[in-house]
Amino acid sequence: MDLFFQQVLNGLTLGGVYCLVALGLTLVYGVLHVPNFAHGAFYMAGAFVSFHLMTAWGWPYWLAMLGSAACVALLAVLAERLVFHPLRHASPLHPMIAAIGVLLFLEAAAQAIWGADFQRMQSPYTGIVDLAGVTAPVQRLLIIGAAFALVVIVHLFLTRTVTGSTIVAMAQTREGAALVGINANRVAMLTFALSGVLAAVAATLYAPINLVYPAMGHLVITKAFVIIILGGMGSVPGAIAGGLIIGLAESFGAFYVSDHYKDIIAFTLLVVILSLRPQGLFPNAAR
Amino acid sequence: MLAFENVSLNYGSFRALDEVSLHANEGELVVLLGANGAGKSSIFLAASGLQKACAGSIRYGDCQLVGMKPSRIVEQGVVQCPEGRKLFPGMSVMKNLMLGAYVHRRDKTGNRKRLDEVMALFPVLEHKQNDPAGSLSGGQQQMVAIGRALMGRPKVLLLDEPSLGLAPLVVKQVFEVISQINRAGTTVLLAEQNAFAALKIAHRAYVLERGRIVLEGDRDSLMSNEAIRKAYIGT
Ligand SMILES: Nc1ncnc2c1ncn2[C@@H]1O[C@H](COP(=O)(O)OP(=O)(O)OP(=O)(O)O)[C@@H](O)[C@H]1O
Ligand SMILES: [Mg+2]
Repeated sequence: MDLFFQQVLNGLTLGGVYCLVALGLTLVYGVLHVPNFAHGAFYMAGAFVSFHLMTAWGWPYWLAMLGSAACVALLAVLAERLVFHPLRHASPLHPMIAAIGVLLFLEAAAQAIWGADFQRMQSPYTGIVDLAGVTAPVQRLLIIGAAFALVVIVHLFLTRTVTGSTIVAMAQTREGAALVGINANRVAMLTFALSGVLAAVAATLYAPINLVYPAMGHLVITKAFVIIILGGMGSVPGAIAGGLIIGLAESFGAFYVSDHYKDIIAFTLLVVILSLRPQGLFPNAAR
Repeated sequence: MLAFENVSLNYGSFRALDEVSLHANEGELVVLLGANGAGKSSIFLAASGLQKACAGSIRYGDCQLVGMKPSRIVEQGVVQCPEGRKLFPGMSVMKNLMLGAYVHRRDKTGNRKRLDEVMALFPVLEHKQNDPAGSLSGGQQQMVAIGRALMGRPKVLLLDEPSLGLAPLVVKQVFEVISQINRAGTTVLLAEQNAFAALKIAHRAYVLERGRIVLEGDRDSLMSNEAIRKAYIGT
């Protein structure tokens, strides 16, 4: 039983990180219909900026996370302005190719600045607590708590504030949004900034129990795509539910099936679920 | 108040509007008649800045609307209730209405007053205010769409085929409300295929064919026009 709860804990950790990454990806897709392959590079950049702020500048962990969120938000807005905005009337293939370009550019830049080596980020939270027989590293509990808090904050932002509603409005009916006077450019920038913040926070949360390196975004972004396809492209609840499903499935799969197959579990699930529900779990909920 | 002068609009190489000139004076209810594909929606899209006119001018008071951003046009008081409604289907009726007041979002008291007026105009929406707009019947959705446009405090209201797909009884209600909005002082430009019902509440009308104005006149002259009766009224 303890082993079972251990897997739940691990699954929630992974799920929390996946939720944050997938949420940003699905928002950008919902508003701009761009499958942003560069989102994984935002994630990677978030980890490196935090790492840099902590090791080179001696910033404390949480402050570094804030700094990284601000930097990656700026980076995401720049990508929107310089790359995706000029392509908004082009055929859908163009922004896709451009997104891959941004991804390659950011990875090369990270490698040039920080090198290709694996780096370890030190978190101040190295302790372990014992929760009724389940050993829980503090960092994992922190990931779960912070990720879910952030998901709730984003949800409240989207549903309770006028600014957040403009994002949802544009995702639901682009033309309707323009006709009530919502500025599409502002919403596009805002959405990219939000996706950057989420990616940076996710990366900074997860990095201390993982490694930091230029290609670290690859696996995360492919899983995030699986999640949003599973949840319904552009759907916010879909991204959250999908993130948790994939996180838990991987953790249980790694333990009860085999650790070697951990990374294909997401894709297997994708195939199974889409063959049963081709429209995804939440086809047009809250888009 | 709103005046098109020789406005042309292309979709690629297809000319949807060809030197269209029309105007609506302050307080008027002007109807645009035309068959499917005549270019009615294109006129509205050009006025709202969602499609760029390639020639001509669209003047509103002292402003030139051609080249102005859609959000600026709404701020000026030219608000459109589009064909197909374009509501936010997943949001509640209330939220749809409040987003209609987006450009006035800082004036909370003004919006509340406006909301009361809209609710008075469409009492059925009162009970539905927390339902997702997408779950309402067609007629109710049309009311939300008109209500949302009114929340933008239009000086000129552009209504694109508000009767499309509605039951006859609901159509009658909708036209009654439009007439009421106009009598309360809002200038209305109304695109319709339902010529008889539209002309009844109109001051003047234009007839559009393949992107050109082919006929214009006041209500009575068009009502008694043989060609109009044949083509659009069917008597
Ligand atoms: N986005 C577009 N791209 C290409 N052609 C278009 C586009 N929108 C409209 N058209 C064409 O322009 C012409 C005018 O269309 P418009 O929608 O303005 O007509 P309408 O009078 O509103 O018709 P309806 O009564 O069907 O709404 C039509 O022939 C239509 O096929
Ligand atoms: Mg039309």
